[in-house]
Amino acid sequence: MERLKGGKYIIATDVGGTCTDTVIFAAGEGLKLGKALSTPPNFADGIINSVYSAAEEIGLSLAELFSSCRLFVHGSTVVDNALLTRTGDRTGLITTKGFEDTLLMTRGAYGRWGGLTEDKIKHPVATDRPEPLVPTDRIEGVSERVDYKGEILLQLDEAAAEISIRSLIEVGKVDAIAVSLLWSFFNPQHEKKIKEIINKVSPGVYVSLSNEIAPVPGEYERTSTTVINAYAGSITKNYLTSLESQLEAEGYNGEILVMQGYGGLLSAREAADRAVGMLECGPAAGVIGSRYLGSLMGEENIIAADMGGTTFKVGVIQDGELSHSREPMVDRFHYVAPKIEVVSIGSGGGSIISLDPRTNIPRIGPISAGAVPGPVCYGQGGDEPTLTDVMLLIGYIDPDRFLGGSIKLDVENTRRVFNKKIAQPLGLDIETAAFGIYRIAAAQVTDLIHEITVEQGLDPRDFVLHAFGGSCPLLCSMFGAELNVKNIVVPYAASVNCAFGLASADIVHEYTHTETCSLPCSAEHINNIFKPMVLKGHSQLLSEGFTDKKISLEWAIDFRYGRQVHEVTTPIKVSVPLDDENMSQLISDFETLYERRYGKGSAYKEAGIEMTMFRLTARGLVERPNVEKSQYSGIDSKGAQIGTRNIFVDAKDGMVEAPIYDFDKLSSGNEITGPAVIHTPITTIVIQLDQVGKMDDLRNILIKSI
Amino acid sequence: MKSRLSETLSFNGRGSIVCSCCEYKICDQDLHWKKSVIISEESMQDLCGDNYTVSQGLLLRRFFCPGCYALLDTETAIHDDPFLYDKIIK
Amino acid sequence: MDPITFSIIRHRLFRIVDEAVITLKHVSGSAITNEGHDLMVSLYRADGSLLMGGVGFLHHLTSAAEACKSIINKFNSDINENDVFLLNCPYTAALHTSDVYLVAPIHSEGKLVAWSACFVHVYDIGAMNPGGFSPESLDIFTEGFSSPGLKIVDRGEIRKDVMDTLLNMVRSPEMVALDISSMIACNNVARDRMQGLVKKYGISIVDEACSNLIDQSEDLLRERLLELPDGSWESRQYFNVKDETYKVILKMTKSKDTLSFDFSGSSPQSKYGINCSKWASWGGLFAPLFPLLCYDITWNEGVIKPIEMKAPEGTVVNATRPAPVSIATVGAIQAVNNAACTCISKMLSASDKYKNEATAVWHGSHFAIFMFGKNQRSSDSIGILTETFGGAAGARSIGDGVDVGGEIPNPISRMANVETMEWTFPVRYLFRRRLKDSGGPGTYRGGAGAEFAITPHDAPDGGINYVVSGKGTSYPMSEGLAGGYPGAPSRYTWIKNQKKNSDRCLSDDLLVGSNSYEGDKENISWGVFPLFGNDYLHVRWNGGGGYGDPLKRDLKSLEKDVNEGLVSENAAKEIYGAIIINGQVDLEQSVILRKNILNNRVRGGGS
Ligand SMILES: [Zn+2]
Repeated sequence: MERLKGGKYIIATDVGGTCTDTVIFAAGEGLKLGKALSTPPNFADGIINSVYSAAEEIGLSLAELFSSCRLFVHGSTVVDNALLTRTGDRTGLITTKGFEDTLLMTRGAYGRWGGLTEDKIKHPVATDRPEPLVPTDRIEGVSERVDYKGEILLQLDEAAAEISIRSLIEVGKVDAIAVSLLWSFFNPQHEKKIKEIINKVSPGVYVSLSNEIAPVPGEYERTSTTVINAYAGSITKNYLTSLESQLEAEGYNGEILVMQGYGGLLSAREAADRAVGMLECGPAAGVIGSRYLGSLMGEENIIAADMGGTTFKVGVIQDGELSHSREPMVDRFHYVAPKIEVVSIGSGGGSIISLDPRTNIPRIGPISAGAVPGPVCYGQGGDEPTLTDVMLLIGYIDPDRFLGGSIKLDVENTRRVFNKKIAQPLGLDIETAAFGIYRIAAAQVTDLIHEITVEQGLDPRDFVLHAFGGSCPLLCSMFGAELNVKNIVVPYAASVNCAFGLASADIVHEYTHTETCSLPCSAEHINNIFKPMVLKGHSQLLSEGFTDKKISLEWAIDFRYGRQVHEVTTPIKVSVPLDDENMSQLISDFETLYERRYGKGSAYKEAGIEMTMFRLTARGLVERPNVEKSQYSGIDSKGAQIGTRNIFVDAKDGMVEAPIYDFDKLSSGNEITGPAVIHTPITTIVIQLDQVGKMDDLRNILIKSI
Repeated sequence: MKSRLSETLSFNGRGSIVCSCCEYKICDQDLHWKKSVIISEESMQDLCGDNYTVSQGLLLRRFFCPGCYALLDTETAIHDDPFLYDKIIK
Repeated sequence: MDPITFSIIRHRLFRIVDEAVITLKHVSGSAITNEGHDLMVSLYRADGSLLMGGVGFLHHLTSAAEACKSIINKFNSDINENDVFLLNCPYTAALHTSDVYLVAPIHSEGKLVAWSACFVHVYDIGAMNPGGFSPESLDIFTEGFSSPGLKIVDRGEIRKDVMDTLLNMVRSPEMVALDISSMIACNNVARDRMQGLVKKYGISIVDEACSNLIDQSEDLLRERLLELPDGSWESRQYFNVKDETYKVILKMTKSKDTLSFDFSGSSPQSKYGINCSKWASWGGLFAPLFPLLCYDITWNEGVIKPIEMKAPEGTVVNATRPAPVSIATVGAIQAVNNAACTCISKMLSASDKYKNEATAVWHGSHFAIFMFGKNQRSSDSIGILTETFGGAAGARSIGDGVDVGGEIPNPISRMANVETMEWTFPVRYLFRRRLKDSGGPGTYRGGAGAEFAITPHDAPDGGINYVVSGKGTSYPMSEGLAGGYPGAPSRYTWIKNQKKNSDRCLSDDLLVGSNSYEGDKENISWGVFPLFGNDYLHVRWNGGGGYGDPLKRDLKSLEKDVNEGLVSENAAKEIYGAIIINGQVDLEQSVILRKNILNNRVRGGGS
């Protein structure tokens, strides 16, 4: 990239719901981390504060830092936030006449139960659809029809379309219009024509076309995606423009790259037109960060877990490849866009513990105590025990050293509340009850990880576990052991992993072409499908300043068996362009993948094989400075021990005196035998009995069973 | 004490079933309340409009409160079918 | 037992069922399984009693328990580790022949510890009509392959002779083979995971947790029943085939902590396949009972214990062999679902604490239309129009029913996209949209049903045939509640010889709706029909029942209904007493009209 050449630093900021994190990479220096509170709706303030806190660590002023910054990478919840708070544009929808209700009918009950937990699904009388982003009176049907082959059966009635558009703008007062017609991904002519008419009638209206935003079959999901994009379009655009000018004012005049839900970066200009691309980009960045860290440590199979105050999120990396969600949702709206799969449950440090009043069975979450009043131990008036309180009661958290000692925790009151609400009704002493809750939390997380590993045919024993976030390092030694993972890693950047992921991502453009071809199909035909995408991707990256050496073009095809609904994206690992010989290798790759994903015996060859979508991933490899490694300084960790404390070990031994270590005093090679606790400025790492922890040369803590 | 018989009817706690809307005393609490209210029996097709292309003989029975004329209950019925009887043991 | 371990084991059991469901969907790969969620997976205890019911078609949870028990009796000492049994005889335990149960024993250390069971609606079962619903069958013998229990996997080995025999009797055997494989895989996963659980905690701990789980459900349901008033509630469902009309009559009685369902008075069994067997009625009443009464209780044997049923033999709800039952799941069973929903809801309505749990009937009638013939790629194709899973929710005391909002007995159904249907079958849709005046009127309106029309498109044979076995056309089946009206009935209209302007050009006015049809119209509901040449099929599906007096519906909500095209101005006036002109409610006139209608009621007068 043109502007990548100068400057020493890569700055990455991730705007999350609560905090804005910063990671700075610099040649020849270690990582620098920064953190500040997010400041919606003017997120830029939080961004600057966060960068400032990292700059301080280097000992630079903001201006000094920005003037020697060569790349600013960014991820943000701005689009998720616009949807959650319903602050997007007043949006209208134009669709094929006769199908105006597609968005509102949500394929029947799918939009009623989608995004609900199983508990709620089992209680249908209490469920409703969310209010749609576009109500009936802002949906217009236009006369036109394209068939399943892309053939036009009925020409667009342009005069009538113009009347519909005027009505949306003049009567409906819309600021944005989504256009989604049947089969438009096979033949976009009518959508394009409608955009022309909108631009003519009112150039200021923001327009999203379904064939551009989500060129895939399935009109409900495609329409929903296009509507989301139109709804959040101008918010996203304004956000990125204002970020650009704010950074310029601070002295940065380089490129801003923006994270997408599929784990790649786009230039801010391009990202501005694809609001849906930014959905859930934070968690995606987390997984990317995990992959990068894995590559530094020589690991390709990783379970990336993140646990903060309210949610536990986890993604899986297998052989360095990420898996993608099939049916993503945002705030209970379906959309379709390439997105890294990250599953979650409502279990975090702030999750409230309660007993089912009828059965006395303990429950964790889904309600969270939030930042205010927070856990009981914060002493801010919280009187519902949370997981954080449990960690305190079993000695894992130090009341005097929480968040670097910034908050002093109230043990007395926590014991009193927990005893009254949980331990006594269970008939257990405080520590045993608290450890029981800890075990349940670990078991639920184990079950969730089971879902995305074992249930997908993957064996957790082949994986290492990365534990990110403020709460995960407290729990990971327990569920990691339960899952029998090879190794548990608490990364140095555990508390800012999304920002770390941003800093380690590449520029990625995704192109797709939808066409169904049955096998046998000539290699030449497929090559011809890819050719225009290859040209487009290549020239795009060249124009962004990448040289051929830094450009990687990855081909993939979605295959399925005839009369089957499941498609499998199969990366083309053989050399391209294809020839007939490596075609057969490709097909066998698909069959292997299919059986791995859908189980033995699921491959139904008799009905033939079809290709449904052709995907090109054009990757511009961003050059990164090497992360500085620290010198090995022996296994002895005595020097880092700062005291002892009683912590709960197991049901047999109960509370046992264990050594406490200061993370900042540990150095590469130091080993710690469990049970033990390590305090970092941001979190606490617990090492269980029969485990040993070790600091590696990247200052990660590795935990292994003995 | 007052208690519910249904969404629209209550027991007044003094031996009677009453309209929850207007407290009109409909009947003794052990009796079949539908026999003490205003009954309308009409062809469902005539009553509900074009979309109800149902069998000609199908009726919509409606039970109104004699005090305030509120609609207390409905049932679909073929001519001679008995009233559906919902009762609560007091 | 220790509540912590109990809680962990319970969570794991949930996950095991869930994972088995995913396996079933993955391997089957069919539209009815994946879109319609027409499936079920559950775990059973060693004696065949329900341990953990999954979210699927809920009337199967108890029937599959009967299937397990029946296999236990029949095979007795011949039940071995890694066996799988097949059962689909409706007079033994199944609902109809095409919903095939595969049940498998789960052993640990050589001891039988549990069973898993699942079903999918198989691609075909060899009945007279393709796809399983067989309106032309007049006895069980013509409803296809039917087994009261056979061993299909013997100690881990598929019995090829048995499999071949089954596949020899069905259409598209390769698709049926895949359905069977999916169920075998599903049982394998359930067994694997269950064995893992037992290995980790030991047989006795898991056994104790399972029995506690069942006791707990029983205690919870009994406690809930004690909170509800004692009494009895009645409901009635009508449905017809051709000129015959049938009734399902239900009297539900609650006494202390028990609940009994009495179907005395229901019609004698039909000569058509809309009957159902006893176990099917038993399952049919549980389908709404689980989500309505036990939304926060684990669905297992404990919930079943306080419940009794009486269903006289020889009736539509307890047919005597060899009566046909192939349409049962969308026939008598659905009438049982609806009747039970109404009685349970009326009971909930009588309680201050539970009144908000009451609901009018959802999607009272499925329209199981199966297409069969050559698709546009010239391959043989059988499949359901998945719109039937679109449904429509009943209104509640807390709000309107959800438009096209599904059904109670199958909480996570959905329908396929138009683009999927047009890709799968040689048809073109003219429209698919919510249906005006279909939601049952009430203070809270029943959810709207919907309508669509299709015509052949690129069919190599010039068209395709379809089987329709729909009820709910002459009698609306989505009953209203508390004064609400029933939802509009379903209607299937065959339009013959509609003039098409030319093969490749559509007349635009046809897209606007049904009124502009020029061809001959025939309302149909039973049998096999063509969709060839210039034929059209226009399907309107039923709305949900309404809740409360329509005269009390909020005028602003009505104005919105009219503007959204869900209620006509005429119905607003005649039924709801609201004057809405040009999308604006006339408050003053409406108040006067409502007063007049109310006064008319003095004489038992109508609206
Ligand atoms: Zn009254």
